[in-house]
Amino acid sequence: MSTALLLTLLPAAFGGVMWGILGGSLPGLSPSITMALLLPFTYGMDPTPAIVMLAATYVGAEYGGSIPAILIRTPGTNAAAATVVDGYAMKLQGRAGEALGISLYSGLVGGLFGLGVVVLLAQPLSTVALAFTPPAYFALGVLGLTVIASLARESLVKGLMAGAFGLMVSTVGTDPVTGLSRFTFGSPELLSGIPPILVMIGLFAIGELLAQSARSGVHVEIPERPRIRFPGPAMWRRIALPQMIGSVIGTFEGMIPGGGGAVSSFLAYNEARRWSRRKEEFGHGSPEGIAAPEAANNTVACTALVPILSLGIPSSNSSAVLLGGFLLHGLAPGPMLFVSHSDVVTGLFIGLLAANIAMVIVGYVMMSPCMWLVSRPRPYLMAFIYALVVSGVYSIETSLFHVGLALGFGLVGYALRYFEVPLLPMVLGVVLGFMVESNYRRSLVLSGGDHMAFLQDPVSAGLLIAAALVLLASAVHHARAARQRRAAGVPA
Amino acid sequence: MNRDLVFGACGAIVAAGYYGLAVSIPRSALADAVGPQGLPTVYAFVLLLLSLILIVRALRTSQQESKTAFHFGRVAGMLAMGVAYLLIVPWLGYVATLAGLILATTWYQTRVMTKTTVVVAVAGAMVFWLVFVVLLGIPQPPGIWAQRF
Repeated sequence: MSTALLLTLLPAAFGGVMWGILGGSLPGLSPSITMALLLPFTYGMDPTPAIVMLAATYVGAEYGGSIPAILIRTPGTNAAAATVVDGYAMKLQGRAGEALGISLYSGLVGGLFGLGVVVLLAQPLSTVALAFTPPAYFALGVLGLTVIASLARESLVKGLMAGAFGLMVSTVGTDPVTGLSRFTFGSPELLSGIPPILVMIGLFAIGELLAQSARSGVHVEIPERPRIRFPGPAMWRRIALPQMIGSVIGTFEGMIPGGGGAVSSFLAYNEARRWSRRKEEFGHGSPEGIAAPEAANNTVACTALVPILSLGIPSSNSSAVLLGGFLLHGLAPGPMLFVSHSDVVTGLFIGLLAANIAMVIVGYVMMSPCMWLVSRPRPYLMAFIYALVVSGVYSIETSLFHVGLALGFGLVGYALRYFEVPLLPMVLGVVLGFMVESNYRRSLVLSGGDHMAFLQDPVSAGLLIAAALVLLASAVHHARAARQRRAAGVPA
Repeated sequence: MNRDLVFGACGAIVAAGYYGLAVSIPRSALADAVGPQGLPTVYAFVLLLLSLILIVRALRTSQQESKTAFHFGRVAGMLAMGVAYLLIVPWLGYVATLAGLILATTWYQTRVMTKTTVVVAVAGAMVFWLVFVVLLGIPQPPGIWAQRF
């Protein structure tokens, strides 16, 4: 990796963290939306700094969410919800600066732990890259689609329907085998298909903007302007165990589809309380109650990379947007990424290390701008986000048609929220649809139409068995949940 | 009306429309055994099946109030402003149209128009122009002004 490229990673990491902290600190802007808003800006950048900037945004947003959680009892992100409990209690005791310092320091510990796990796991996974054939890629796509079953927590049917919508969107454009145009309605702009980035910006950013427009504006005043106080050696020792608990939980939750920061934060909080010698302090301003969830959600921001880098499958909304960043720059995440673009992977690891360190510096500096931003009237914020979206989407290919498409998907995103349908299955369908169809048909062409080709290839067979097991486990889980609901008298 | 029932009905309509388009894709002599219609047809059937399951399930269960209230009028207004931006920006240009979008969105949320709102909208549009066009070098629609001056 050249020195020039290394030098571009640093500003990308700092810039991403800065944007992430700003976005994360705004209640209503999740890490995925913050990343989606940044996506168009990365289009003109080199791939490695662009990916680093997006990943750094995720890291920054996880910390940013804790700022309003501690100061105004409103989590900036879902993952920061667990931090509210003890963070706000500490603020009421006049210890807001200390709470913010613990949050920042624990985020650093969790982030570095998560990065270590990603680096350790990425190397062995890269060795299987060359074993991938078209049937294996098809099976990988199928495995990715079965993730939908575990993402659709409340309604499997609605999750699968969203996945089917996504698959349908992926068929728009030129047919991968014959070159015929499909579902383009004579529009030349649709010949190359619908870019997943437009679907993501529409579903996540515009859809959320439309949903928020229906709610009344909130003007928040922050009377107190605390300074961040980093923990001393005594506090380090006290919060070491909850940080470790959070990091371990975050490692697994980051890699599991549908896990994500919010689930890991609450699990970490609960476990930290269980293992604490000062259980009674939890809920009344316990530093451990901040350390565990903050370490967990920053670990997730790193370990969520494992399924993307190794399999090309996103496990959460944020990692789906990160995947969109890879696709935007012509990179196909998955096994071959380690072979064909190992420099990008190495750059990403270096960038993430820089991002985690940058989080401490930027987090300290950005405190005042964040508090200023949080206290802005919501209508102005919404207007500027709208302006950012239309400007950003146009920038990708200087196409107003694309802006129109993104608005259309925004309406779809709003409708899915209205009908309480998860968004990620649709994104998975869009992202994996082309891979599934093209490799399925290529495999059949190569095998002379013999479907046994998918079972004769060992990697393909293994992945298909894994997909079947995921489906089986989800079916059992959903059946058990339905039985529990029936027993509790709740309609299915 | 039960939201699941409506969503199921929407899904069935989309599936039927998509199937109609899929089977009308012309046949090709170069086509493989599956063909360009193959998987789209399967997707349409899968969506139709899932939609029917959802409809049946919705009819069998009692109607439930959703946890979240949504106001369609406000959402339609927000979307209309985006569409208006798309229609106006080619001739009015980026800065003026964006200022209009910011102004309209802010007014739409507050129903109050003050000097501050106008100043913030114009200044905001200028900042966006500086960032995108001047700093990042990304062209935005210049509008009819580009031909006049």
